[in-house]
Amino acid sequence: MNRNVLSRRALVGVAVAALALAGCGGGDDDSDTGTGTGTDASAGASDYANLSGELKASGASFPDAFYQEVITEFKTVASGLTVNYNAVGSGQGKKDFGANLNDFAGTDSTVKDTDGPAAGSYLYVPTVAAPITVSYNLSGVDKLQLSPDTLAKIFQTDIKKWNDPLIGADNPGVTLPDKNITVAHRSDGSGTTNNFSKFLVAAAPAWKLKSGDTLDWPASTQGAEKNSGVAQLIKSADGGIGYVDFSDAKASGLSFAAIKNKDGQFVAASLEGATAALNGATIKDDLTYDPLNAAGPTTYAITAPTYILVRTTYSDAAKKDAVKGFVTYILNEGQTLAPEVDFAPLPEALKTKALAQLDKIQ
Amino acid sequence: MTTTAPPVTRPSAGAPDLSRGALSLRRRLANQIFLGLFVVAVLVAVIPLGLVVWAVISRGGSVISWEFLTADIPNSFRRSGGGVGPAIVGTLLITGMAALMAIPLGVLGAVYLNEYGKQRPLARLIRMMADIMTGVPSIVMGLFIYSTWVLLFETRTGFAGSLALACLMLPVIIRSTEEMLRLVPDELRQASLALGARKWRTTVTVVLPAAISGITSGILLAIARAAGETAPIVFVVGITSSTNLSLFDGENTALPAQIFRNASQVFEPAQERAWGSALTLIVIVLLFTIVARIIANRFAIKER
Amino acid sequence: MTTQTQTGPDPKTELSSRGGGPRADRSFQVLTLAAGLLVLAVLALILITTTREAWPAFREMGLRFITQNRWDPPSEIFGGLAFIYGTAIVSLIALIFAVPVSIGIALFLTELAPRRLRAPAVTVIDLLAAVPSVVFGLWGVLVVAPKLVPIYQWIHDVLGGIPVIGAIFGQPVGSGRNFMTAGLILAIMITPIITSIAREVFDTVPRADKDAALALGATRWEMITGAVFPHSFGGLVGAVILGLGRAMGETIAIALIIGSSTQITANVFASGNAMPAVIVSQIGESTGTFTAALIGLGVVLFIMTVIINTAAQAIVRRAEIRMRGTAS
Repeated sequence: MNRNVLSRRALVGVAVAALALAGCGGGDDDSDTGTGTGTDASAGASDYANLSGELKASGASFPDAFYQEVITEFKTVASGLTVNYNAVGSGQGKKDFGANLNDFAGTDSTVKDTDGPAAGSYLYVPTVAAPITVSYNLSGVDKLQLSPDTLAKIFQTDIKKWNDPLIGADNPGVTLPDKNITVAHRSDGSGTTNNFSKFLVAAAPAWKLKSGDTLDWPASTQGAEKNSGVAQLIKSADGGIGYVDFSDAKASGLSFAAIKNKDGQFVAASLEGATAALNGATIKDDLTYDPLNAAGPTTYAITAPTYILVRTTYSDAAKKDAVKGFVTYILNEGQTLAPEVDFAPLPEALKTKALAQLDKIQ
Repeated sequence: MTTTAPPVTRPSAGAPDLSRGALSLRRRLANQIFLGLFVVAVLVAVIPLGLVVWAVISRGGSVISWEFLTADIPNSFRRSGGGVGPAIVGTLLITGMAALMAIPLGVLGAVYLNEYGKQRPLARLIRMMADIMTGVPSIVMGLFIYSTWVLLFETRTGFAGSLALACLMLPVIIRSTEEMLRLVPDELRQASLALGARKWRTTVTVVLPAAISGITSGILLAIARAAGETAPIVFVVGITSSTNLSLFDGENTALPAQIFRNASQVFEPAQERAWGSALTLIVIVLLFTIVARIIANRFAIKER
Repeated sequence: MTTQTQTGPDPKTELSSRGGGPRADRSFQVLTLAAGLLVLAVLALILITTTREAWPAFREMGLRFITQNRWDPPSEIFGGLAFIYGTAIVSLIALIFAVPVSIGIALFLTELAPRRLRAPAVTVIDLLAAVPSVVFGLWGVLVVAPKLVPIYQWIHDVLGGIPVIGAIFGQPVGSGRNFMTAGLILAIMITPIITSIAREVFDTVPRADKDAALALGATRWEMITGAVFPHSFGGLVGAVILGLGRAMGETIAIALIIGSSTQITANVFASGNAMPAVIVSQIGESTGTFTAALIGLGVVLFIMTVIINTAAQAIVRRAEIRMRGTAS
């Protein structure tokens, strides 16, 4: 374990050095602002040790594993500052943010009027992205391809058997067994469900269940708590299929299907596919973006974004510095940690914009 | 086990044995069957309960170490090491404070119901409402404290958790204590009153001590229920990875919240921490139970 | 023991000073009354705050909130009938299993077990009540549910063909997460509670009653039905209500085991959902009317407990009247 941590630290160190180099050389094909903020950030990196106090944060559970990993590493450079992230869910995180209960919130979805935070009181900072896998358990089938429409019909139980001709059409040459499909979904309200259903709304005309954190699932489908619960439900039933975030699906040893993307290619879930999706997505002015069903031949179609909500003004200067410091750390050093815990780092251009966003904090 | 001890070994006081042979077959069979069923009931309950406890001990036992009990909570779900020290402290503080609030109030409330209110409409209303309050799901209690205390003071604290737990414990303590007070024979009260003691004095020095064993049992059930509550803790207490000794300043954490948080992760180190936390929680309650029983026995008026 | 000095008040000389005068008595009574009233205050506050928070959903849905079987947050349709049904059926299953077993254990401990076995047994039962529900949930979902599937399948194969009964024991779901498993795990969880209270209740049966029954030649079982049960009926109902209260409000364990499908079916081997489980699993990612609807489920649960308790108290009262009638 010690060795593991050491090598990780070395990695982060190398990354910082690389960043500094990139800053000096200005060799990135991104704009000058990129280099500018790059240098700013590495100058800020040495200041981490000066940060002190305690940061309270709550929100999305989807990036929880990543944030906890970053917090662990952050402790090694900023021993004076304690960060606590409570994965209570995006909705609760936003409510807490509106009620002034946290210093920043994690959210998978954008803020609506009824969510709590007042318009203008917050800024979005994109942090990482991750693919949502369509995991399955089907003995004898180790490679499965699905188009969005087939996927939609499976999840709304229009297709009930694995040897359905529609699945066969997506998988030429594969012998599919005559087995019942067991659909697994999240029983708790979840950003994963939201993004998965948003993808189906965007890509599959056949999808009828709309999109949201909780859906009106057909009665014969089964729910389970959290990603790990869904993963475990799929594992326990031969013929099971469900959507699970990449990190948990990998850790559970599930096999996942390749999904047909906008360009008509079947691409399996991978971090590269997710980063490709981010490159293909249009970034709005407030830095929100929609990487679902993005264009590009190597794009993985079901890629979910996640954001941190920071306040536009912090009355306490120390708190402001602490939030800025921690989020800067996520955007710089944290990005190198991301692949290790199966999250996709932001593309350079978006990262630069995110760092610039932090300068708007008063 | 001694469960097979035949029912006839202990000649009960005053029951003459001579009727036994005269029993009809039907009566004897009914007797044997139903007494046998009691034993079966014990087995039916003991086996699954034993299995749960075994699962917790076998999986949690290997995790427990001095480091596990004292070290800070690691943020990473994937890496082993660290412990749940802050959650143990949090559980003790939050549950202790809740007990401190709920026990006196609950016992006093029960005293009102049984010694003063009796069958008056107000007492009957309170009794009924206490029953209803036991049915309030813990998550609703958490939401209640969240939407009043937490939003009012704009901070999550251990004390908010104590409030939620106290609300959960209060009706249980009231109802069980009242049941126990009702069992105290009226002769005791009359004797004390006849000797000139005032009613409050009678209640405090005669009635309560006479029922203390049963009262303690009820209180322990309430505390046990509260100590294992997860939902309110997650909502109103927040989370911390380092020990927070203050109930009023800063967020805190407790063992059930750690069990819940870690159990829903697929990573082995996290699940180990969940089982270890479960075992720790059970042991804490066990120690507490034993201590409370000793205290109760010390103060109990011995059976006549 | 020193307790002797406590019980036996001192001679009459202290008569007037004993207890500090009528004012002390009065203030003690007020103190206890205040503690009693606190229950009403807290309960009223809970009702007010939760109803206020839930109001948007009630206004939107009206009575359909409890009569419609469709829970569709994206369309803002919140009909929670399936969850009410789930809560009822799971609690019912739990009681069917837990009540006889608990009463059996309590009777075993009070009437059969050797005296030296009782104290440790009581401690063990109290301790088992302390196993956190999340642990039962974990154990239930990881260990029990998969193991029960073949048993459910067998029961279905044997009884499935019979009308009515066959509908109850329908095709089991593959994961074993269903009403029955949830009810069984709940039964295990509430057994220590019901047992503990039932035992205390049985302990209150006067020795003389039992001895009298035995002296008249009753067998032990006849003594129990003739002397113990009538005397303790009210207390037993109280024990069951307490168990039911925990069963209905149980959250985390049920959320893990019940399978989380929104459906109403007589099949106890099908997966469903229950109100507290829905609240706890969906509230984190909810906003606006959706949050209100979830809190509304809490209010509905509230009202259900009121109804059940009122009914139970009526039963107890009738039983007490009947008892008094035969006694005199």
